[in-house]
This record gives sequence, C-alpha cells and structure tokens, in this order.
Amino acid sequence: MANVLWLQGGACSGNTMSFLNAEEPTVIELVTDFGINILWHPSVGLEIGEQVTDLMNDLIKGKKQLDIFVFEGSVVQGPNNTGTMNYFCDRPMKDWVKELAAVAAYTVAIGDCATWGGIPAVPPNPSESTGMQFHKQKLGGFLGANYKSRGGLPVINIPGCPAHPDWITQILVAISTGRIKDVLIDEYHRPKTFFTDFVQTGCPNVNNFAQKIDGHFGKRGGCLFYEVGCRGPMTRASCNRILWNRQASKTRVNHPCLGCTEPGFPHHDLVRGSVFKSLKYLGFLPQDVPTGEGRLKYYIRAGWEKILPTNKALKETSK
Amino acid sequence: MVKELNISPVGRVEGDLDVKVYIENGVVTRAHTQAAMFRGFEKIMQGKDPQSGLIVTPRICGICGGSHLYCASSALDTAWKTQLPPNALLLRAIGQATETIQSIPRWFYAIFATDMANKKFANKPLYQEVAKRFAAYVGTSFQTGVVASGRPVEVYALFGGQWPHSSYMIPGGVMCAPTLKDITRAHAIMNQFRNDWLEKVWLGCSIERYLQIKSWDDMMAWVEENESQRNSDLGLFIRAGLQFGLDKFGQGVGKFLAYGTYLHKDKYNRPTIEGRNDALISSSGFFDGKNYHVFDHKQVMEHVKHSWYADVPASHPWNEPMPTPLPSQNLIETNFDGKYSWSKAPRYMGYAAETGPLARVVMNANPANKSHQIQDPLFGDIIQKLGPSVFTRVLGRMHEAPRLYEFINQWLTQIDLDAEFYIKPKEIDGQGFGATEAARGALAHWIEIEDGVIKNYQVIAPTTWNVGPNDEQGNPGPIESALTGIEIEDPHDPVEVGMVARSFDSCLVCTVHAHDGKNGDKLKSFKL
Repeated sequence: MANVLWLQGGACSGNTMSFLNAEEPTVIELVTDFGINILWHPSVGLEIGEQVTDLMNDLIKGKKQLDIFVFEGSVVQGPNNTGTMNYFCDRPMKDWVKELAAVAAYTVAIGDCATWGGIPAVPPNPSESTGMQFHKQKLGGFLGANYKSRGGLPVINIPGCPAHPDWITQILVAISTGRIKDVLIDEYHRPKTFFTDFVQTGCPNVNNFAQKIDGHFGKRGGCLFYEVGCRGPMTRASCNRILWNRQASKTRVNHPCLGCTEPGFPHHDLVRGSVFKSLKYLGFLPQDVPTGEGRLKYYIRAGWEKILPTNKALKETSK
Repeated sequence: MVKELNISPVGRVEGDLDVKVYIENGVVTRAHTQAAMFRGFEKIMQGKDPQSGLIVTPRICGICGGSHLYCASSALDTAWKTQLPPNALLLRAIGQATETIQSIPRWFYAIFATDMANKKFANKPLYQEVAKRFAAYVGTSFQTGVVASGRPVEVYALFGGQWPHSSYMIPGGVMCAPTLKDITRAHAIMNQFRNDWLEKVWLGCSIERYLQIKSWDDMMAWVEENESQRNSDLGLFIRAGLQFGLDKFGQGVGKFLAYGTYLHKDKYNRPTIEGRNDALISSSGFFDGKNYHVFDHKQVMEHVKHSWYADVPASHPWNEPMPTPLPSQNLIETNFDGKYSWSKAPRYMGYAAETGPLARVVMNANPANKSHQIQDPLFGDIIQKLGPSVFTRVLGRMHEAPRLYEFINQWLTQIDLDAEFYIKPKEIDGQGFGATEAARGALAHWIEIEDGVIKNYQVIAPTTWNVGPNDEQGNPGPIESALTGIEIEDPHDPVEVGMVARSFDSCLVCTVHAHDGKNGDKLKSFKL
C-alpha cells in the first residue's frame, strides 16, 4: 500500500495521457490490485479544491503519510523567482513542491519538464522553468543537488516526452511492493532498468546503421542517423524493447529518435538546422556520434564501413 | 458554510483555470475565467529553426498533440508552398481522426458523465441506472469506456510511432511509409473498438442504422425503436439528459466557429491558404445563430486588455507582437476590472464564438457544403429545436464517433502502398497558416519565417476561444457567458457550474471559486 500524490506544474498533461494508456497494469488495476492509493491526481482524483488544499496541508504536517510524490511538468519559478506564473490552490506551485518533497518518502519526477526543465526551459525560458533536481545536464534544479527524500533517494527521474506508461507504473509498483532496492539509478537519477540500453537496441534499422545506408522520410529502410537527426545511438531508453501503445516506436515508423530521455531535449535548443537534420562538420561528418565512442574513432570506423561493399540482401525492403 | 462537497471525479486534464462565479438568489450573475499558468511557448520558438513547431507545439498540449502537429505541418506547407501526395493527406487525416475518436469515450466517461451521478439528480427516476453505469471507477461502463479509448491511438502509433507526442507529419508529407501489416492491424484495431464499445455499449445498433438519423424527431424515434437502442449508453444519456434538464442550461454565446479539418486526399496537393476551405471534408465556417458565413482566418483577432500581457491593440495573429508577460495575481487578489487571465480573448468578426464538436456538427449541416464534404442536417435541426446547451454540446460530440469510425476505415483502404508518402520541399521564407479541429475545437497556427528562422509564431487553441476572458469592449468569452444566468440549486455543491465548463471540454484544470454576490463570502472552491 502506498499513498501517491500527483501534481502538475508547467505541464502539458502528456505524461498523464500516456499514463492513462497503461495496459499491464491499467491505471484502474494499479489501484485495485497493486495497492496504489492515489490521494489525488489532476485527471483522476476524486477530491477537489479546498479538499486538495487540506490534503496537502495534512501531508505537510504529517497527519497523513506521503509515500510517493509524483511531479509532472516544469517547476515554474518566474517571474523573478516568485513562481507566480503558476498558481495552485492560491499559492505558487513551487512552494507546495518544496514542502511536499520534504515530507515524501520518495519523490518521482515524470517527463522531461519535471526531470530537467524540458521545452519550457529552452532559452529564453520565459517562465524561468527548471527540473526538480536537474537543469538540463546540471545537477541542482529546483530542489538542489543535496536533496534526498525520506526514503534516502534523490528525485527518481523518469524522463521522456512523454514517459512510457510502463516506466511510470513499474516504478510506482516497485515502491509500493517493497522492491525499491532493485531500482538502481544512473548519473541522471534514471532507473537503470529502463535507461541502460539505447533506443537503437531493437531498432529495425541497426543493419542499415552498420552498413551506413541512409534513410529518408517517406521511404522504407535506411538509417535516419546520418541525414535526419536520429538520436537512437545517443539515447538511453527502452522504446524498441517496450513498444509504445503496444504497437510501435518512433524509429519503427521511420521517425527519428528525438533523444527525449536524455537531459537537454530538445537538443541544440532548436537552433536553425538542428530540427530533423543531422548537424555536420565540413558538411559530412556528424557532430553527434554514438555514446561511448570517441569522435575520431567513430569517423575512422564509419568511413571504413561506408566504403566496404554493402550486403544487398540486408538492404531489401518490401511494402 | 459548506458542509459537504460531491463533485466527482474532478481535476480533468491540463493547465490551471480558476473561475470566479457570483451567485445571487441561486442564479449566477457574473462569471470570470482565469487561466493560471504561463509557459511562453510562442516566445521559445522565436528565432529558432522553422520546423521547431513540429516538435514544440504538440507539447503545448498532451491531449491534442496530434492536432497541433496537423496545424504545424500545414502552416509550413503553406509557407513553403509544398506538394502533398494523397497518401500523406490520408495519413494525416487518420492521425487527426484517431486522436479525436480516442477522446470521445475518454472524455464522456472520465470527465463528463460522472457528474450525472451527482446527488443533485438523486430524485430523478433514471438516477439509479445512470449511477450504476457512469459512476467514477465503479460504473459498469466506466472502465469499458476508458480502456476502449486507448485503442484508436494504437492506430495513431502504427503510423506515428507513439501517442501522445509524435512529430510524424512534416511539410511535404509524412515520415512513415507503412506496409501491408500496418494497414491490416489498423483495420483490426478499429474493428475491435467498434465491437467492444462503439456499437455494443454506446449505440446498441449498427453504425449504418445510427447514421440514418437526420432530425431530432428521427433521434427520438431511434431511442424508442427497440430495447437495445433505448438501453444503450447513448439511449440512456438522451433519456436521462432530458429528464435531468441538461438541455435547459449552459447556452453560451450562440455563435459557432469551426476551422474544419480532414483535407481531402486529392484536393489539397498544392496547399494554399485560399484553397483550404474547399478541400476540407469536415467544413469550416462561422454560424451567427441565423446564417452561415464562409471562414476567413483574417477575421480572427486577439484581445489582451484583460490578459496578463502588455497592452497592444486587438490584432490578427500575423500582426501580433510576441506577448510580454505582466505580473499576475491569484484568484482572491485579482481585480476583474483589469487584467485577470493568462489566456487571450480571440474574437471572430468581433464576436466571441464557441468552438468544439457542436460547432463542427452545426457546420456539417450547412446546406452549402459540397459533395465531398459531410452533409448532415441533424444538428441544424437540433440547434433550431433545442438550442445550444450542456445536452446538445455533449450530443454533438458523441455524434461524431460513428462517422469518424467510417472515415478512418475508408481512408485506410485508400492508402496506396506503391505511391509516395513525402515530397521533399524547398525551404523558403514567408507566412503560413495551418488549422484543424482538435477534439475540443478549432485550433490554428500562424507562422512567419524570415532569414531562415521563425520570426513570429502564434497559436490560438480551442480552449482560448472558449475560456478566454472579456475582450476590449467588455464582452465575455463563451464559458463566461454560458455560466451567467445558470441556476445553482445547492451553492455548496454547484455541479451545474462544473457541468457547463466540462461540456466545453475545457483543456484546463479548473478551479471554480463560488462567491456570494451580496456579501462576497467565499462559499467554496473546487476543482473542475
């Protein structure tokens, strides 16, 4: 049994919509079969208005136990650090967040906005948005580098724009069923179980990546890394292992990975030439190279692969 | 003061909206809406890559992300003067339609119908049956409807990779090049959606039978035709809605605006702003309560007199400067004679206009619609006989499901697996306009590209139309207007206020604070 409070700051509700698509378990099964007691949630909560204010005050005063505090959306600090661009129950949301995070057994940030600021934090960051414990790649964020919840963990970051429903439900279940010790977190505080492999793991175009065969929009086959900015080799996430909506993933439908589970999304801050295009040096060397590989080594290896004869059988596609 | 509160379940999707309602002798005399969250997306896009909108704008709203994408890609199509292959138009329309049909059961069961199980209606004969089916979580139709709502977006994922937040629609077409497997699976998923919910639970009859309904009298005859239809969720909604008096309140401004959507596969291959109206399958237009007017995006103006932005004269989005945010207040400290919302106030030909499914089905009844456009007289008749209300708004929304189901299947069969899906465009400077109908109403993007980057990007969302504050002349927005005059039976549990706001499907988490008109005492605040 775990009491969950879920709030939204500078949010689009996309993570909530994703959460509602959960299948195994469904949101309703989380409640009925897995001991998740949703104290309140903006879309499925039964309490309302002043009842929510009272509930939050009870949690802060310790009259009620807060086991999991889930936050979706950026922490809005503007203007001038007042947080008044995002009121909630008559106070700046950021003030509620600070007080609730202080009493929570575990604090979970869901989606890119809550983890590292996401799109609202792209310069000029009009709402002075930041993430719960990171601002882009930098540790700190709203709660500070030293924050630990009562359970002894920093903010557990479940990034993604949106996060996959299974990433959310499985972490909630792990906490509520006493398996939190199995949740190891990486340098960006992401659960390693989902964020160790790369998006490229399971992508149908890995052969084309290896053979340096370019893909293009509206075409079957070919790797999207070289021309249209796919970040699959630089992005840790299980998108091609745990499919989306039970059917697909971006790269399975010829959509470049946007790298949305890595801090810094949208990468290169949307500068001219960075959207659905691979940034290059000298017009042919990709600026972003696969994680874990030195640039020079990659260029040498990739150049070699490019000039070797391709295996034509692997190149074939069909409608 | 209030002893108990039973509006449930509450919250309901995105953003924060506060509403201040003044109640005198049980009647709302004045209502103000307050959007309580600012992120500044338009400002973020200024100076960025022209295609930024494809990534950024779906993230404005996780519920209507596919609709934003439809607009963002269309705005670039018109600015870059692209060419669109028929397959691309079909796959974009399928994406838009699956997102919208997803929202129909999700909205009805999770957001709207639970209010019909409110104790306000406990003395009505149909209350027991309504509560049995529509009560939150435990209602017999609740879980069926909510689970069914996840199916159509599986079809979206087959072509877009995921829902929400794909960017598969791009200027010049779509990213994907589906295969036979995708088409077959999509048909199968939609069939399951029909068999599990649409026909079995919702209609109680075949889609073909339902679509024969052409007038309000036909509709009532359909309800009484047999037990299956009478006892379907739609049959129950109609009987209970009338019995509970949902047709008696929440009228609103009585003027409707639709940008229309679903660009025909063979009629928009050379996208232009001028050619858009005639290429739509679900038609655009402005209905002033008596007459239909041809839609012209240049008639749209945004007012900021009561919004927390630096004052500028009301202007068309292309001429609007980027908004400069001003200090905001919480609801208690707000002066409603001044600035009081993060939402702007859009107006069409100077009028506040309701957008949403009801506006769409009213346009579908326009006698001037062309042969490739939806021609459905039903809501022309209903709006004359019943007028706008909470009831007609809900009925209008639900009416779209059977037709969308047919369209999605029809469009799937028209995809040519051997033909093109994308034609690479040339990137040029210029102005663009893209629009669609999100599930909850008219959505449009205006872009201006200069020196290869975005100079200006303006978005007007359907909720901005419906929930916006007063304009320069002091005229209220549609929800403000719809709230004024409603009778509140129990001011401690003003479910009527909630039902009106929810009938518009406002895409905001709304906090309504009810105030007594005489002494200003705060009666109760609650979440919508």
